[in-house]
Amino acid sequence: MRRALTQKRIMRRATGFTLALGASSLFLFGAETVSASSAEGTAILSQGKALYAEHCARCHGENGEGNAQEYDEPLYGDRSIKSLAGLIERTMPEDEPERVVGTDALSVATFAYHEFYSKQARESLLPKARIELSRLTVSQYRNALADLIGSFPAALSDNPSIPESEDVTPAQEIKAGFEAEYFQSKGMNKADKLRIERLDPFVDFDFGTGSPAEDITPDQFSAIWNGSLFAKKSGYYEFKVSTPNGARLYLNAENTGQRRKMRDDSSVAGQKAVIDAWVSSGKMREHTTRVFLLGGRHYPIRLEFFKYKEELSSIRFEWKPPHSPWQLVDDRYVRSKPGPRVYVAATPFPPDDRSAGYERGSSVSPGWHEAITQGALAAANEIIDRLPYLAEVREDAPDRPAKLKKFLRHFAELAFRRPLLDAERELLTQGIFQDADTADTAVRRAILFVLTSPNFLYHHPTPPPSTPPSFAIAERLALTLWDSIPDRQLVAAAKNQDLASPEALRKQIQRMVRDDRTRGKIHEFFIHWLEAEERDLSKDETLYPEFDEQTMDDLRYSLDLFIEEVVWSEQSDYRDLLLSDNLLLNGRLAKLYQPTEADTESSTGRAFQPVSLPGQRAGILTHPYLLSAFAYHDTTSPIHRGVFLTRNIMGRGLKPPPEAVAFKNDEFPDDLSMREKITRLTSDAACMTCHSVINPLGFALENFDAVGRWRDHDNEQPVDSASEYITIEGESEHFSSARDLAQYAVTSPTAHEAFITDLFRYLVKQTTDAYGRETLETLRARFTEQSFNIQKLIEEIALVSALHDAKLMHD
Amino acid sequence: MKRIDNQRRQFLKDLGVGLSALPFISGLPSLQAAATNRNTFPKQRLVVMFSPNGTLPKEFWPDQFGPDTPLDLKPILEPLAPYSEQMLLLKGVNNKIRGDGDGHMRGMSCLLTATELNPGNIQGGSDSPAGWASGISIDQHVRNHFQSNAATRTRFGSLEFGVAVPNRADPWTRMCYAGDDKPVAPIDDPSQMFSKLYGGTQDREHLSSILDHVRGDLKRISKHISSEDRSLLEDHMELVRKLETDITAAKSQSELEHPEPEIDPNIELVNDNTPEVSRMQIDLLVNALANDMTRVASLQYMRSVGQARMRWLDINDGHHSLSHKPDKDLEAQEKLKRINVWFAQELAYLTKRLAETPEPGGVGGSMLDYTQIVWVNELGKGNSHTLNNIPFVFIGGGAGFKTNRALDFGGTPHNRLWLSLAHAMGDKELKTFGTERFNEGGPLNLS
Repeated sequence: MRRALTQKRIMRRATGFTLALGASSLFLFGAETVSASSAEGTAILSQGKALYAEHCARCHGENGEGNAQEYDEPLYGDRSIKSLAGLIERTMPEDEPERVVGTDALSVATFAYHEFYSKQARESLLPKARIELSRLTVSQYRNALADLIGSFPAALSDNPSIPESEDVTPAQEIKAGFEAEYFQSKGMNKADKLRIERLDPFVDFDFGTGSPAEDITPDQFSAIWNGSLFAKKSGYYEFKVSTPNGARLYLNAENTGQRRKMRDDSSVAGQKAVIDAWVSSGKMREHTTRVFLLGGRHYPIRLEFFKYKEELSSIRFEWKPPHSPWQLVDDRYVRSKPGPRVYVAATPFPPDDRSAGYERGSSVSPGWHEAITQGALAAANEIIDRLPYLAEVREDAPDRPAKLKKFLRHFAELAFRRPLLDAERELLTQGIFQDADTADTAVRRAILFVLTSPNFLYHHPTPPPSTPPSFAIAERLALTLWDSIPDRQLVAAAKNQDLASPEALRKQIQRMVRDDRTRGKIHEFFIHWLEAEERDLSKDETLYPEFDEQTMDDLRYSLDLFIEEVVWSEQSDYRDLLLSDNLLLNGRLAKLYQPTEADTESSTGRAFQPVSLPGQRAGILTHPYLLSAFAYHDTTSPIHRGVFLTRNIMGRGLKPPPEAVAFKNDEFPDDLSMREKITRLTSDAACMTCHSVINPLGFALENFDAVGRWRDHDNEQPVDSASEYITIEGESEHFSSARDLAQYAVTSPTAHEAFITDLFRYLVKQTTDAYGRETLETLRARFTEQSFNIQKLIEEIALVSALHDAKLMHD
Repeated sequence: MKRIDNQRRQFLKDLGVGLSALPFISGLPSLQAAATNRNTFPKQRLVVMFSPNGTLPKEFWPDQFGPDTPLDLKPILEPLAPYSEQMLLLKGVNNKIRGDGDGHMRGMSCLLTATELNPGNIQGGSDSPAGWASGISIDQHVRNHFQSNAATRTRFGSLEFGVAVPNRADPWTRMCYAGDDKPVAPIDDPSQMFSKLYGGTQDREHLSSILDHVRGDLKRISKHISSEDRSLLEDHMELVRKLETDITAAKSQSELEHPEPEIDPNIELVNDNTPEVSRMQIDLLVNALANDMTRVASLQYMRSVGQARMRWLDINDGHHSLSHKPDKDLEAQEKLKRINVWFAQELAYLTKRLAETPEPGGVGGSMLDYTQIVWVNELGKGNSHTLNNIPFVFIGGGAGFKTNRALDFGGTPHNRLWLSLAHAMGDKELKTFGTERFNEGGPLNLS
């Protein structure tokens, strides 16, 4: 607080100077035009330059680059000129800080700011940003392959006009849970009489010595649970069926349409069960399997069960999603109406480069090349196995070669995201066939070629002249919104020149934004933005005995659900993310986070209900998942919370700490509050350079303990969550709570820019600057105009990426 | 295992083949053989062949038994005549396992395990329902014995081939067990077996055929992009070049002693293609043995109660239904004879392939001299469903049994037979096999 006052004093001293500049704020806060044209500005800059050369350059270098002997860190940051001037006045030059004060300090600060210190200054020193050639990221590769193979056999059609509703089950027919059928068996016929049809939210039944219903005899009966399983993220999923009876699990099998009835001993023709526990051998058994699934996709699932003369009967169906505990497969993830098989490229890939803060395909490595080679071999096996279905061709069809060639043509066109060149068509339908012994070998080689060709593996920023511009646009849209290839509708639109008018283009984008794939990608973005990937939340078990694995998993679900509800509501308002005073709680969470309501009926359920906690909660900022993630195992951590808020929410840069200082709780007197400990720990001036920003933000959340519960006291002292936050413009803001902080963030252009920058890079996998320096500002202005609508922002970003090369549209 | 892996890695290093090439090269049989010191001859191999639904005793058993009576072959065994000197027929060896499950289930799942079925939920045509067998089968026992010793260890340990086995898992379709409640499924698709055995070799061929096209594309795209971006594609080009070098290196080092057989990858697994599938599987089996990928194999035709309609023999009835017909139904008897002769012909083909292939390693003799073939059936006789007098046929010199004769043990449990086989294949410490009480008297004397 003292610091803020000091800066105000400096400003008062410098008032005459600021007034003299007239449009001072513009000048000071970075409008370059003023500085260039204003005589006063030029004078200040040259004065600053002279002072800098005299007092600063010896240690900091001529352009702030530093020097190895004195001070090797380059001078850059996000302080305002005012704030920078204050710092110089107090601390610089190091031996005699009183030599550069007042207007001198201000002019040095102004010079440094415009020459090298500010973000804009730094960027003008860098080479111009450009859109880089990149290979598909791992996620893009897997999604593209799933959609490429999943397009068939429908993609064999040459008819470019496709009804929008094709293959889509009307939403009202889709229900949460398994479609369950229970049968009375009779001897060898396990599906003799259908007795019950209903929706089961999960499968966990203990029939004991009895049966599922009065009109089913306990000695022999069977059941089928059918549905569509949603895998939220990519990774290995484990499944477990526990039963003393017979059971089979089918996952991601081809829907042949012949699966209505369970026959005597093999229910689904030609398909392989991922768990075959059909023969009971009279004991309680647990059968498990491990399957790699691609995130954001629905998989057909079918569980069959029967009892025959064993004494007891029960069945329980569980799974263990990546980084989650074992749990029942339930109606949060299962819905009726199974869809088609999804091809999943399970080949392990080395992770993509994330050094720039987002995944990008900026390099190729031996590991990557091995993976795409193995990936192509595996995909070719799948396609050859399923050729009769995918290419709609029987083994003995007289026109088989012609049909296979047709399949390959469409396959390559979808994979390359453009019409084929003559030479390519010739190679795929003639050359490869002439060199191979059998047609199947030719198909296999053609697939290997397509999937290892750079035409599939890379995204070209500026396609060659032979690619029609509308196809380039379609490709960019699909990669930006779906991390995948254009679907049939988008290809049709490209062929029909339906992307030429802004209205048509926007209509396509709006359709695409509603697609599950966009939802999946956007969800992953939020997890990335909030640093919520694979967090270990576990806490000290004596201090927080209720905070078990299940609770942590519920919290994650609560956070995910909250984000989805905000983003996919009609308003889709960014501000709701930060300002909502609702928490979504199920029974288990309500006991922890809404203790006064505990043991009421509403707090025992499985369902997640919004619980309003006015005055306490502020959306994601106070979601217990993040509050727990940014905390120690036994105490809060205002620093971790503060750093997260500074960087990710407020959008400010932080340099690494000048020296690593560990927080050791037992080195402080017992009676201090966490706030007092952190204040002492960071009191050093070198620390306070950043902690003057970090600490106030972290302290504002001190009303929430290490698992995110509300508290009024910390270590028997009343919690003090009030502090003065110095904004990036150098102004002081008083925050007395998390809500104050959120209120500030939703009006802060810097916070908005940070959000837009992160979202843009996540979607497009390039920087905003590569699309022009003005892009970020344009997007920010649109975001504000459109009431901070996130869905509309996604549309705007898609437009920027699709039309960056605007001349394409006029060619 | 670890030692072998290290040796292989060193071997690859000596070849100058980088680790990145390993996935394509791993599992190459000749590499494995070359890197492992295998001086322990003679080699021993075991092949178990199964056909279902019992035999026709009159057309199968010789008139005379005894240690000194030369073998005289009845019509069903006629196709095996060229190998009669290397044959041993055993009568009076019974599957005495009782308990849960009908005769076919026990016939099948207790045949090689010689132990009871677990109680369970699978109902047969009679008796109580049952589950899987409660113990290991003899082929898997021998496999484990071989795998426990570096000198006899192979890449696969054992391979389970099937011919026209239905796509279902129950006590009628499984005879091999890795242990209690652990059935082992046979692979009845030759192309699946082919890729299991030779997948890497084939993949390499396909890949090398398209590398030029990939390079062409990389060059073409490089023309249209900026020089900064071009370096990414140059890196990619370098990786393609490396793959090509690796493939060439792998190819020259992985020449099989016995090149892989030609397999029509498109063959449909339908009933009428059974004869072709059978020959492909036998070719693959012999090849895998010749390349020392495994020393234990099984070859399962159909399943117990199998209803194959052998139209290639002009028989339109299902096999199991025919096997129920009484002895006096001469037409059925004649068809059953044709069916069993056909199985014997397939066995003869297997035997011939082994007899024609010189034993690798320059030790002289044929592979048959070092291989023990055992032909088994889940029943003694179809229409009586008896588990007595199972038609056991032993061919080859793998176990060192005395051949060119037929013995009648007069009704002894088949546990003792498997015990003697285990001893003959090197596990001389084994005291009992399967259900303990059926081991009384110890191993049968077959030498």
